[in-house]
Amino acid sequence: MNMGKKDEDSGDSGLFYHIDKSTVLQEARAFNETPINPRKCRLILTKIVFLLYQSEVFQTKEATETFFSITKLFQAQDIPLRQMVYLLIKELSTIAEDVIMVTSSLMRDMTGKSDVIYRANAIRALARITDSSMLATIERPLKQFIVDKQPNVSSGALVSSLHLFNANKEAVRRWANEVQEACNSKGAITQYHALGLLYQIRQHDRMAVIKLVQNYSKGSLRSPLAYCMLIRYACKIMEDEEPGSRSLYDLLEGWLRHKHDMVVYEAARAICNLRDVSSTELFPAVSALQLMLVNHKPTLRFAAIRTLNKLALTHPAAVFPCNLDMENLITDPNRSVATFAITTLLKTGNEASVDRLMKQITGFMNEISDEFKIIVIEAIRSLCLKFPAKQSLMLNFLSNVLRDEGGYEYKRAIVEAIFDIVHHIPESKEFALSHLCEFIEDCEFNKLAVRILHLLGTEGPKTPKASKYIRYIYNRVILENATVRAAAVTALARFAVNIPELRDRVKILLTRCLDDNEDEVRDRAIMYLRIIDSDDLCKRYVANESTFSWASLERNLVHYLNDQGAHSQAFDISSTPLVTKEQEYAETSRAITAAAELTSPTLRSAAAALGTSSAAVGQRAAPSSGDAQAGYAAAMEKIPQLSQLGPLFKSSSPVALTESETEYVVTAVKHIFTSHVVFQFDCRNTLNDSVLEKLNIVLKPIEDEGADELALETSIPIAQLVYDIPGTAYVVFRRADGTSPSAVFSSSLQYFVKDCDPNTGEVDEGEGYEDEYQIEDVELVVADYVLPSYVVDFRRNWEELGESAEVLETYQLTNVANIKAAVQNLLQILGMLAIDGTDNVPDKATTHTLLMSGVYVGGAKVLARCRMVIGGEGVTVEVAARCKDENVARTIVDAVC
Amino acid sequence: MASLITGFLNWLRSLFWKQEMELTLVGLQNSGKTTLVNVVANGQFTEDMIPTVGFNMRKVTKGAVVMKLWDLGGQARFRSMWERYCRGVNAIVFVLDAADHEKLPAAKAELHQLLEKPQLANIPVLVLGNKNDLPGALTVDQIIEKLDLRTIGSREVACYSISAKNSTNIDMTLNWLIKHATSGSR
Repeated sequence: MNMGKKDEDSGDSGLFYHIDKSTVLQEARAFNETPINPRKCRLILTKIVFLLYQSEVFQTKEATETFFSITKLFQAQDIPLRQMVYLLIKELSTIAEDVIMVTSSLMRDMTGKSDVIYRANAIRALARITDSSMLATIERPLKQFIVDKQPNVSSGALVSSLHLFNANKEAVRRWANEVQEACNSKGAITQYHALGLLYQIRQHDRMAVIKLVQNYSKGSLRSPLAYCMLIRYACKIMEDEEPGSRSLYDLLEGWLRHKHDMVVYEAARAICNLRDVSSTELFPAVSALQLMLVNHKPTLRFAAIRTLNKLALTHPAAVFPCNLDMENLITDPNRSVATFAITTLLKTGNEASVDRLMKQITGFMNEISDEFKIIVIEAIRSLCLKFPAKQSLMLNFLSNVLRDEGGYEYKRAIVEAIFDIVHHIPESKEFALSHLCEFIEDCEFNKLAVRILHLLGTEGPKTPKASKYIRYIYNRVILENATVRAAAVTALARFAVNIPELRDRVKILLTRCLDDNEDEVRDRAIMYLRIIDSDDLCKRYVANESTFSWASLERNLVHYLNDQGAHSQAFDISSTPLVTKEQEYAETSRAITAAAELTSPTLRSAAAALGTSSAAVGQRAAPSSGDAQAGYAAAMEKIPQLSQLGPLFKSSSPVALTESETEYVVTAVKHIFTSHVVFQFDCRNTLNDSVLEKLNIVLKPIEDEGADELALETSIPIAQLVYDIPGTAYVVFRRADGTSPSAVFSSSLQYFVKDCDPNTGEVDEGEGYEDEYQIEDVELVVADYVLPSYVVDFRRNWEELGESAEVLETYQLTNVANIKAAVQNLLQILGMLAIDGTDNVPDKATTHTLLMSGVYVGGAKVLARCRMVIGGEGVTVEVAARCKDENVARTIVDAVC
Repeated sequence: MASLITGFLNWLRSLFWKQEMELTLVGLQNSGKTTLVNVVANGQFTEDMIPTVGFNMRKVTKGAVVMKLWDLGGQARFRSMWERYCRGVNAIVFVLDAADHEKLPAAKAELHQLLEKPQLANIPVLVLGNKNDLPGALTVDQIIEKLDLRTIGSREVACYSISAKNSTNIDMTLNWLIKHATSGSR
């Protein structure tokens, strides 16, 4: 009694502030007392939940002990206490052992009288502790609860079934009828849950999902949440459709007039996110969003402006009609709304309105937090690249905000924006550099100062009045800390190297640096003084524009460190590919854009995660940049036969060689090495009553052409493939020197089958029998040899390569209907990267030019220009490829036919 | 000081209010534990019960005594957990299917193994040979002999032959239990 009182007091004051796991577990002994004090026990349970939610780690033994003492609380009839007990059971169900112990007690509670409030809680707890062996016991009651009159009980059962569905698809499918009945329940939330489960059950049957959406779109549902779900399902269906067809668009448009804001917004957002959406289709959605912009609820305003902001990236013209409303939002009391309004306006605005907007932003910047400021800066940066004529205005603005107070991230965003402007708009250089010079006079961030000094060193000497920067830089040598001083020395030296007239004067300054008390500064000064007069040395150490490819350098170094035998020799850096500074810059900017384009998780990724086939997940994950390739490389490093092949040039995206429902599911990935081709086969056995042993992939060339140049070197079988655990086999071919053959292989699996017990996984004795399983053909195509790469200025690179390096052919593509399909087709065939957004084709275009860039195996840079025109049957394409190696250009052009 | 006062209060309460006792029912599966609890609680026999998964908690009032009954599942997977629910109870009730001769050795082993636990020392044990209405059911003496009950020392052991179906000897069992309302290691 006394204890309880004390605890309550402390709970009131410190609210669990100072609680400690071992003390709480001591207190939990109160559960074993008789009679039980419900108030006290509730408090202790709350503390345990609190600890769990604070990510306190409970060992299995502790958790089990606690769990069993909690089961003693089933003797108390106190309802709130019982609900707390359920909560704890759910939390501990994953940590403690033998949680199945409470099954009978929970079943009793949920089948109890209909007026007990905790029936739904008991059902939800039961679903958590049930494993598939116990499912049969609870199946009947669960089905009954799904159609229970009380919405909360029915909801509880539905949500529990959703949880159970992941592990026991077949069983849950059996109660589809009950779920359907629950869709018509009176409770809004029950409808929502029932719809969700119904979709899970039917999601792989496209027709069934379409029927589901059409059925319930007629207005039989009451829950706005359920409508939102329907909208998402409808989008999912349309996503999988052929491009161009929009079977369910009318439904979406109808929902724009729904009485719930939530549904209207969801529908509008869905339309905005449709693939290749046309402006006619967008119009009603944008109008709906426009109405929300003047809604009195801030959440709606925020949602609408955020969606418009995203839409403005791709369809600025469609958002244009909202401009007036958005301008009013700039003064919105909610600063998040205001920030989005401004950035959207920046995207939709034309050149004339920029001045006015910038004025408004200047007043507004002081009122928002750093994160929003960064968003604004990003918008200004892209605006500036869009309207280069306005650069002086923008630079003025940027340099003004640069002087304001702000954290590192904010300042970095500004500096990076200026860097970009310098990089892309040469006219702005002088002006921007002088602003940066001013900034480093009073810069508290070393990292930024160093970067700016570096930029001054590379760009400064190219300006007409280079000498004026020297003063700024030398000031740093006098005033700053060692890191900045060292960077300043390097910058100075670059002036001396690039401008002979200044050389003597800079040498005097560098000589003064020899007295510096920091080693690094002195060392740099000495080195530069030494090399400055020799043109040869300068070229080697200062003017060198290339750098190492960091990713492969890292991989090579790790490889070197792990290989004990290699330590007797020094690390050979020449094996690391060199990239020019331009390339590296392009790579980083591409990474930035890619990161920016990562959208919020959608239904699609959720569905993929739920899908059983790991291959599907792999395919989803594959496009996410070169991470996949690094993963493959790391996996192959571990296999002795493959680790000798040298650096990995390119990995293709996975290709499915079987249907996803067959006995064995196989996907292939092709890896190109310097002189080898490695086929990787990811296999999965979907039969739980058999085990495959010595599984080998047999590849037989079908077409003779090209196959001659490939010689089978090794194949690495899977020793044993058991149910549902993926295994990987490899086949290695050696390519004849300098060739990059295309070929088609018929492929099959050869293996020994053994039966096994589906439950225990125990393999039967005996040899098993040999068998073969045909899978689809594997193709090695030109695209596999091409690494997409980025060029900053396509035109200049194109001119530099010159017409002499060009191969040109004209083809008639009859198998494509429009330009858009042709572009997709070409990108797929050639495996190159589309430059300057030329892969975006306006609807109904009749002519188009696609620019592409890539690196061919061996390191030859190749550019391609495809001019297309619609005519006659299909699309006529003139393909021109330029490359220093004429054979490569020829290969690329020939690949198209 | 606080504990003294609480003790005094409890004693005072016991004079005016009902006395509480705690019992644990264990035994192999299908020996009739849940059925017995239902007979004791409702006075009714119901056939064809679902096996107990885990445990059931029942409170039964008999005269001035409130009995808390922990009715534990008898399947093999739950036997290791019996001990947890036997700690600190007034009495352990071991129910046996007296007509199922095949399971006798298993029942004997489980009983002795349970009683060996040091935590459970001195707790009185009541062995009930259930289903004595069936032909071939063991008598009390046979049970004592087959289960080796005489070797169990240092605690009170009783053995009755009952039938939950016909309510045979249920009164006797209840009397024994109520008599032990204040015993045990608590």
